[in-house]
Amino acid sequence: MSEQSREGRHENEKARFNPINNIMRMVSDPSFQKTAIWSTGSIILALVVVSVLMMMTGYNVGLAFLTLLWGAITQFDRVLFFATPLIFTGLSVALAFKCGLFNIGPEGQVYMGAIGAAIVGYLVSLPIVLHQFTALLFGTFLGFLYGLLPGILKAYRGTHEVVTTMMMSYSAILFTAWLVTYPLKDTTQALDRTPPILVTAELPKLIGSFLNFSLILAILAVIAVDYLINKTVLGYEMRAVGQNPDAAETAGINPKKNIALALGIAGALAGMGGSGEILGYHHLFQDNWSVGLGWDGITVAVLGNNNPWGVLAAAIFFGALRAGGLQMQRIAGVPLEMVRVIQGLIVLFVAAPRAIDWLSKRGVDYATWLKTDRVPASVHLATSFMAGASAIVCLSVFGSYSAMIEAGIPGVGGIVALLLFLTSLVSIYALIELLMRKPRGLRLVAFAAIVWLLVAALGYIAGSMLIVWQSLVIGMVSFLLVVLVERVFPETPLDLGGDN
Amino acid sequence: MPQGGLTIYAVELENISKTFPGGVEANKNITLRIREGEVHGLLGENGAGKSTLMNILYGFLSKDTGRILIRGEEVELQSPQDAILRGVGMVHQHFKLIPPLTVTENVILGLEPVLKRLRAERLVETKHFSSLLPIDFRGAADRIRRIAEENGLHIDPDAKIQDISVGLQQRVEIIKTLYRNADIVILDEPTSVLTPQEVDDLFVTLEKFKEAGRTIILITHKLREPMVLADRISVLRDGELIGTVNKEDTSPEELARMMVGRPVVFRVEKGPANPGGVVLAIKDLTVQDKRGITAVRGINLEVKAGEILGIAGVEGNGQTELVEAIAGLLKSREGNILLNGKDITGLDPREVREAGVSHIPEDRHRRGLILGFTIAENSTLGRHHRAPFAMGPGRQVLDLSEADGITEALVDTYSIKVSDIHSLASTLSGGNQQKVIVARELSANPKLILAAQPTRGLDVGATEYIHNVLVSMRDEGAAILLVSAELDEIMSVSDRIAVIFDGQIVAVKEPEATTAEELGLLMAGHKQDQSSAEAVV
Repeated sequence: MSEQSREGRHENEKARFNPINNIMRMVSDPSFQKTAIWSTGSIILALVVVSVLMMMTGYNVGLAFLTLLWGAITQFDRVLFFATPLIFTGLSVALAFKCGLFNIGPEGQVYMGAIGAAIVGYLVSLPIVLHQFTALLFGTFLGFLYGLLPGILKAYRGTHEVVTTMMMSYSAILFTAWLVTYPLKDTTQALDRTPPILVTAELPKLIGSFLNFSLILAILAVIAVDYLINKTVLGYEMRAVGQNPDAAETAGINPKKNIALALGIAGALAGMGGSGEILGYHHLFQDNWSVGLGWDGITVAVLGNNNPWGVLAAAIFFGALRAGGLQMQRIAGVPLEMVRVIQGLIVLFVAAPRAIDWLSKRGVDYATWLKTDRVPASVHLATSFMAGASAIVCLSVFGSYSAMIEAGIPGVGGIVALLLFLTSLVSIYALIELLMRKPRGLRLVAFAAIVWLLVAALGYIAGSMLIVWQSLVIGMVSFLLVVLVERVFPETPLDLGGDN
Repeated sequence: MPQGGLTIYAVELENISKTFPGGVEANKNITLRIREGEVHGLLGENGAGKSTLMNILYGFLSKDTGRILIRGEEVELQSPQDAILRGVGMVHQHFKLIPPLTVTENVILGLEPVLKRLRAERLVETKHFSSLLPIDFRGAADRIRRIAEENGLHIDPDAKIQDISVGLQQRVEIIKTLYRNADIVILDEPTSVLTPQEVDDLFVTLEKFKEAGRTIILITHKLREPMVLADRISVLRDGELIGTVNKEDTSPEELARMMVGRPVVFRVEKGPANPGGVVLAIKDLTVQDKRGITAVRGINLEVKAGEILGIAGVEGNGQTELVEAIAGLLKSREGNILLNGKDITGLDPREVREAGVSHIPEDRHRRGLILGFTIAENSTLGRHHRAPFAMGPGRQVLDLSEADGITEALVDTYSIKVSDIHSLASTLSGGNQQKVIVARELSANPKLILAAQPTRGLDVGATEYIHNVLVSMRDEGAAILLVSAELDEIMSVSDRIAVIFDGQIVAVKEPEATTAEELGLLMAGHKQDQSSAEAVV
């Protein structure tokens, strides 16, 4: 036994001095792999769902994604520009999470930081460098206070931080709106905004007219947060409190102090993000300017798995969606809201990792079945594939029923549209049942096939040959496959899909 | 309830065996027959398998082998619902109530009577669309009131659970079983949470049950209760049925021997103690637990350097709170705690640690380890803020290579089986997790070691190892306060034994001058005439 541990020790010693081994260890860590699979899987699933949505609403999916990608690559400075505030707010949420806290309020902290920076920016006159520094520091400090308050309430009064931080976000938005409507309003302007900050307070631009110095601050913040969490006594204590407050207390760590401080620092990070936006780009504080940079921070932290470097990657990804989305809107005509749909779906899938686990488990199931029982398994797989295809085609031609209305048969068009929509739902359900290898899935596919044939007939009445051919092919093939599975391979092992 | 005149047994459990996934054999081939209308005491130490057996009867756990007969009919219980339908009710040790809901709402939970359809006694599970119909709260409250009156369980059906005392909460649990027409009532450690007054009330209720012809199974580890209430008493030990005796034919002494009188398994090699000066002195300490109930009532204790003082007692008699008060985790109401003559009362946990106290907590997952931390991180816990771990300005930078080196040394010295000190503590076995805690706490060079249940759930090898480490720390001059529910451990490791019961030290004994039976009686609250004189050290 002791020999074993001694051997292990030698390996450890070697590993400690080899950075490549460290990376290898991280990559071979099952939990890291799992997170990576979940994150990429979520992104892929979200893109699949969004492409179906785009098909449904009649956009050119290929062109949309191409312009999105192209926009993100050609305008990388804007990608980074959009990513900058998200890095700050993402870090804010991630840091609080390491201490077991859900900071839902970076939006409010961003506003407090921003107003602080704006006030110092236009009311105080200081030499360059010192001015920027003071403004940034004051904004950060306001953010710190605005995070510390719910932290203290949580630590010493037990108020749940989700409630307080969220409510305080709205307070901050409204409070700053009042400030710029009355006491701080630039009276020369119609809009509710402060006067522009002095030139001495502006952060220098890096490239182009968007990307500014706050990006460098953001990257420094990533490094600093990583260092704080992993390499300092304070970070160690925060993580201890986050993981197990009772054990931390037993070991002499003061959980209350750490909780208050963690939310305070989280607030400071968001506040610095807000200050950077004002000093680097907006140059004045306008009522309601951020439109959700703080809320997006929560999303970024979720996708980045609350890891500082993960947050950086997730923020850049979101920045790319934003910058590419603008291009997509301009060229492919797809509204920018589609990007927000993608963001929302990603969070949905990341937050529900079991969906991806379930899918990959089903995939493994099929693979093993294919190995042992090739022919019936591949027919069954083809049926599942047909169900999926049927659902997607349903949704994509759903939009084209308007063609029928134009053809002068509005009644038929409406019926076809309704039928297609129902069939798509049935097909999706059939696919799920088939993946679980339930016999009901086959019956549903058969039902969908009949509906397709009906649609073909209606399409013939309406005179739309495209719909006729599509429907005929899908209907016939689905029907054939169902008959094959049911009649030719009746001994197919159904209901063996493992634990569902 | 239907019962033929020929039925003699309400419940027959035949050859029941149960092994848990971890390999713990909770029940070994137990055959137990419970007569209709009797009060049957089920006695045994913690972990003897009492609750497991009754949870099998209640359908909460599945048995591995054996047969269950309820009123002569063999049953396969899939869930508590099956048991309830056959008239079995159980009052769990930890109540299964929802605090913000009222008494009525809690009682009818799962059997909500739908308005108009259920005025009668018929109980139907609400399902499908009937769950959308309005609930007949008034009818349910009336029924609860009637049940309460018939059984002397006075309660306000509209009171919220969170507003009523623990004793009343237990009443609600009992009413819950009666509401479901239970005539075989299992009570799991019913008195463990009650005040003496509430215990008396409970006993009155149980007498009424007996008169009404209900069968009662009383799970307990206190000797007094079955001796007062039960007709027959069965004793379990280590998952085996030791025997069933009539109350008239037995004595507390016999029961105590049946309960704890197993051969001593562990033998700790240790020489005689060389007690030095007093390290820990506790004076008139009174402590309330987190719920505000006084758990430690005026304890006086001394632990000398080079001595192991064992605290023997059934769990829940104040030992947890005593240890937490010394460690600074609970604030004391009255009294003083002195360490080497210096008052450490009211210091926070870190200050207590700095004063030279190490604490091996009783619940290693809750208080001892951070499972999501690596072994190296866990090994520095509590000392992370001092050199050599904390460096730099204001001692704020963690020197991880120091932590690694020291962890390696600990892993070696304490032969902890780890693949990598950077793997998570949750990947270790229970014994190795405990070794990590012991290694960490003992390497701090403490003057006083608080060892609470240090070997709970560990196998023989790990237990022996930890015992030997404790003894060697004693020989090096540390004062050790050992708290354990295991009499064997207390008797073989301690130099002196203090018995705690109901928050008080009821006796202090030399291990050579006492027996397991005597300690068992003391732990169960059976006062000896002569022991009260020695109670104060």
